[in-house]
Amino acid sequence: MSGFVRRRPFSSLLLILLLALLGWVWHERVALWAFPDIISAYTAKEYCSCRYVMNNDAEYCRGYVKQWLPTSGFNDDPASKRITVSGMGRSNSAAWLGERQGCRLNP
Amino acid sequence: MPKGLSLILLLLLSLTAHAENWPAEQWPTAPAINGPALQALENYAFPPRDESTRQGIRTDALLVIRDGQLIYEHYAGSTTAETPHLTWSISKSLMATVLGVAYGEGLFKLQDPVQTFYPPLKNHPDTRMADLLHWASGIDWQEDYEYAPLKSSVVAMLYTRGHGDMAAFTAGHDRYAAPGQAFRYSSGDSNLLSAALKTIVGPKRYADYPWTALFEPLGIRHAVWETDATGTFVASSYAYLTARDLARIGLLMARDGRWGDQQLLPKDWVAFNREPFEHYRANQDEAVPGGHWWLNRAVDSAARPWPDAPADTFAALGHWGQAMYVIPSQNLVIVRYGDDRDGSYRHNELLKFVLKAFAGKVQP
Repeated sequence: MSGFVRRRPFSSLLLILLLALLGWVWHERVALWAFPDIISAYTAKEYCSCRYVMNNDAEYCRGYVKQWLPTSGFNDDPASKRITVSGMGRSNSAAWLGERQGCRLNP
Repeated sequence: MPKGLSLILLLLLSLTAHAENWPAEQWPTAPAINGPALQALENYAFPPRDESTRQGIRTDALLVIRDGQLIYEHYAGSTTAETPHLTWSISKSLMATVLGVAYGEGLFKLQDPVQTFYPPLKNHPDTRMADLLHWASGIDWQEDYEYAPLKSSVVAMLYTRGHGDMAAFTAGHDRYAAPGQAFRYSSGDSNLLSAALKTIVGPKRYADYPWTALFEPLGIRHAVWETDATGTFVASSYAYLTARDLARIGLLMARDGRWGDQQLLPKDWVAFNREPFEHYRANQDEAVPGGHWWLNRAVDSAARPWPDAPADTFAALGHWGQAMYVIPSQNLVIVRYGDDRDGSYRHNELLKFVLKAFAGKVQP
C-alpha cells in the first residue's frame, strides 16, 4: 500500500479525492436527488401564482420567474389554469385551485 | 369645576374619540402632500426600472396611512391597487395575527408545548408556542433561498422534498439547540405554527379561519392564502393581499389590536409581538425579532436596526423587498411591495424619506 502511494503519488491523491467525493454524494444523496426538481417546480408554482393569483399578464410572469438555470417545455393551459415546466431532466406542474386557495404544486 | 365646564370637557373628549379614522369599504383619504420631501421619497423608491437586468430598487407599491387615512399611494410595474401581491414572509406576521385571535378565544397559551397541538413534533417535545413565535425552536433549519440551494431547508420545503407536508418536513429535522435559547430564523417554525392552528381551532374551522377571524372583521375582501397538500396554510410564504388590505392589518397593530370598538387581539398578545426575544444577539438578522414581528430596538450595545426611525417602529418583512412598517408614535402605517432582486433596497432609507414627507411630529 505504502509502496503504491510512493510509486503513484498523483493517482493516490486522485483516488482519495474520488472516495471523498463518493462519500459526500452518499451523504447528500437525498438533497442531490431532489435538487434537479427545483427549477421546474419553482417556475411552475411561482408562474401560476403570478398569472392566476396576482393576475399579471403572461409576458410579465415569464420574466418574473426567470432564473439563471434554463427551463424547457413550458406549458400554460389557461382553461385549466395548469402550468407544466421541464428543466434539468425533471418536469413539474402547478395548478390554480380557487379564489382563496390560489395555486399549488402538484405532487 | 363648574358642572357646565365638565360637560363641555366630556363632549370634547368624545369628539376626539369619534374623530378616529377607520377604513370602511374604502380607506378615507387625507389631502395629498406635495413638495421636495415627497419628491425625494419617490426618487428613492421609484427609480427607472430595467426589466432585463432587474437590478436596483424595484418598488411595486408604496402606500402610507396616517391617522387612519390614506395619504399616499403609488404603484409601478404591473402592480395596481387591485393586485393581491405576494407578501412572502410578511405571511409569518399575518399568521401570528391570526393566532392572536385564537389566543383571544382562550384556545392556547404561549407556554403550551407545540406537540400538544401537533403530535408529529414528538422529537422536539419541549418546544413551546412562544419558541416558534420567536424563531427559536432549536430545530436545525437552513434558511437560504438562492445562494445555497442544495442545503437550503426552505427551498426543499417549498419546491421539492417538503412541499406536500411542510410541517412534517420541518418536524423531521434534528435539534441543534435547546428550545427557546437561541434565535435562528426559520420558515419551518412558521409552518409548524400553521399546523398547530389546525388543532387549536379544529379542522372544521381551520380552512376559513384566517378569513372569519381576521380578514372579514377588517373588511379585507380579496385575500389569498395558499396551502400545502395537507391543507395547511403556507404561513411562511404564501399569503397575497392588496397593499390597501395589508395596511388594515397594520392599522390593527398600530392601535394595539383594536378595530373600531372591538378588541380583536388581546393587548397582551400585541405586547408579546412587540417584545424583543431575550436571547437574540445583535446583528443576527436585519432587525430584532419579537413574537413573529420585527422590531427596531437597540439590543446589547448595538444601535437600532433603522436608526432614522423611532424605536417603536415594528415591521413585517418578506423576500424581495416586501415590507409593512408600523410606527404607532407617528400614527403611520407604510406598505412597500417590491421585486428587488439584489440587496440595494434599505429599510432605513425608505423610512427616513417617508418620515420626512409624512411624519406629523418632530421625531424623538
